[in-house]
Amino acid sequence: MKKKSAHMHFIFWLLLFALFFAWPASVLAHVEQGQAIGFITGLEHPWSGLDHVLAMIAVGLWGAQLGNPALWILPVTFPMVMSLGAMMGLLGIPLPGIEIGIAVSAILLGGMVLGEVRPKLYIAAMLVGFFAIFHGHAHGTELPAGQSGLLYSMGFVIATGVLHGIGILMGTIHRWPAGKLALRGAGAFIAAMGFVFLWQAVA
Amino acid sequence: MRSSLVVIIVLISGFLFGTAAAHESQPGSLEIKQLTRDRYDITWRAPIYYGKPHPAQLQLPQDWQTIGQPTERRRVDATVFHRVISTGGKSIEGKIIRFPGLEATITDVFVRLTRLDGTVMITVARPTKTWAELRGERPWHATAGEYLGLGFHHILMGVDHLLFVLGLLLIVKGRMMLLKTITSFTVAHSITLAIATLGYAKAPLPPLNAAIALSILFLGPEVVRSRQGETSLTIRFPWLVAFAFGLLHGFGFASGLSTTGMPKAELPWALLWFNVGVELGQLVFVFLALVLAWSFRALEIRWPRWAQALPGYTVGSLGAYWTIQRTVILMGGLF
Amino acid sequence: MRRTLFNNMLFLLGVIVSAALLLPAKAAAHLVTTGMGPVYDGIGHLLLTPEDLVPAIAMALYAGLRGRAPGRQALFYFPLAWLLGGFIGLGAEIMPSFPLTAISFLLVGILIAADLRLPAHVFAGLAAAVGIMHGFLNGIALKTGPGGLGLLGIMAALFVIVAIISACIVSLKPPWTRIVVRVAGSWVAAMGLLMIGWFFRGQG
Repeated sequence: MKKKSAHMHFIFWLLLFALFFAWPASVLAHVEQGQAIGFITGLEHPWSGLDHVLAMIAVGLWGAQLGNPALWILPVTFPMVMSLGAMMGLLGIPLPGIEIGIAVSAILLGGMVLGEVRPKLYIAAMLVGFFAIFHGHAHGTELPAGQSGLLYSMGFVIATGVLHGIGILMGTIHRWPAGKLALRGAGAFIAAMGFVFLWQAVA
Repeated sequence: MRSSLVVIIVLISGFLFGTAAAHESQPGSLEIKQLTRDRYDITWRAPIYYGKPHPAQLQLPQDWQTIGQPTERRRVDATVFHRVISTGGKSIEGKIIRFPGLEATITDVFVRLTRLDGTVMITVARPTKTWAELRGERPWHATAGEYLGLGFHHILMGVDHLLFVLGLLLIVKGRMMLLKTITSFTVAHSITLAIATLGYAKAPLPPLNAAIALSILFLGPEVVRSRQGETSLTIRFPWLVAFAFGLLHGFGFASGLSTTGMPKAELPWALLWFNVGVELGQLVFVFLALVLAWSFRALEIRWPRWAQALPGYTVGSLGAYWTIQRTVILMGGLF
Repeated sequence: MRRTLFNNMLFLLGVIVSAALLLPAKAAAHLVTTGMGPVYDGIGHLLLTPEDLVPAIAMALYAGLRGRAPGRQALFYFPLAWLLGGFIGLGAEIMPSFPLTAISFLLVGILIAADLRLPAHVFAGLAAAVGIMHGFLNGIALKTGPGGLGLLGIMAALFVIVAIISACIVSLKPPWTRIVVRVAGSWVAAMGLLMIGWFFRGQG
């Protein structure tokens, strides 16, 4: 019985993922060309900046280190706060020092992973949320003219979520001692890259 | 499973309003025959659409000139337009023929071009693509895809076929029996589809449609009977009924694959892919019905008594309605 | 119970009507032609319009998270409300320019992400309200195309979507799968926020 239900679940998720990837393709085929391309643009965008990619993965890694419930609270919080930041950008509310903020987020989040810091849950959520605003403000608003805002947003949000997922998946090595060490090494790398970004932003 | 299949009927009835009569609409055809180097004979057969002349028009390339007087003849099931044109010495390669008005219909138009050297080109214009391009040989997969889509289309539009399959689903108990029943229906209609398409036998459309309706009418009481726990030959061996009536439905599928003037070499290929399309559509329907039935069980829906009795009566009464309607058409056709 | 439902609907209708009156705009709907008649055209419209499909799926996810009884409620109220809204929309003249759909993205998305429990009648009211609003917009969009038959097709498709998805979610056992659903909910809410942002930017 148990085996059968696990089997069912596997098939279910497989179908879900298949749908997930097949559906945008069919939308693209039918919606007007200029509009549909927005989804692709949105999907690609979060991958285009290394600072963004590293910070996202750091969120996933940290969540994996902290375990439940941070593991899921962080990925649930992040997209919503990030879109709040993007909305600020869309409404024309300026946010000073965006580049610096993003670089600092990579340093701090990388540092957290490096030190395996375990703050109280709400502090972790607020820290991640605070930086999410910067990321949203910087990246959520770069829609090329003539493309559909909704499709761009869908692509953008989904790609960000996938980056978290990658971080969490990488974080599963946390259960082995060697893996723990590797994670901290990754944190160090992200923090170091953060310093590079900071130097670029200031210089 | 059976008690949970109920609401599918409600869904089906939604489709009925839109598509019930659709199945009886015939495809149109356009035949272009090369007479001399730059002269072509053009025959456009526009099917009668819901009792009226077909809304679609034929629009030829502008630089083609009509020679002589175009003719128009009315038949029982179609209007046939005929003319001879001259291309003025230019090639017809890459020319586009349009069918304005086709987008508002559910008709497919088969376009066939025969050249002096005996080569034949076939293409289809449809509501989503209201034009046809004249060109040389096509790669095999283009033809395959075309007929696959046609078959898929045909079964999803054929509410009577779907209703028959639904009736079978309501009767069968257990996976093995389901598998047997669906397989024998498939085998049976494939046989007659092939026989009819390859020209070995032919079933005139009006009596055929009436007979198909009768097969649905037949299933109605059987569904009710099986629900009440009674048994009968059909309930014990549903695959037998599926096979017998499947032979009938195969002739019906053949009416969706107009082969008038199709080159003999292409026929088996088109037949194969048309059939694959039909099976695919049928599988999608069966799969959807089973998943829905599973969902109803997972949500633990308890249907009231009247709702449980609904499917059998719906299958039966729609079958009866179609039987009467189509018999009347049949009689009208005779007198 | 009935009163609350009624009040909810009344409130929502008020919002819709006032928005429609304040912000008239051109109906920028993309109609789909499947070549298989109006019923299938309606289904095609639903499947290819993310503004409608995503909230419909979200509603099903939320109903599934809440359990069997809400799943059944949503299964019947939601498509029917959608149809009702659709027939109201067929008679409407103007398309509201504010992305009303963003509200349902936001609302249902947050409810999923927070895995919030609602009293049964509030839940039913929510399903009905979201359904009526989307149906209303669909009705306006489909008026020039498939019309009422298209709406019937949409209702049938919604019924199938809600039944299958909520049944899947109801039968999920491992705890992490619920979390995946909640994460998806937060994505939907984020999309809603962004839609509102794009509207004010004038690029919705």
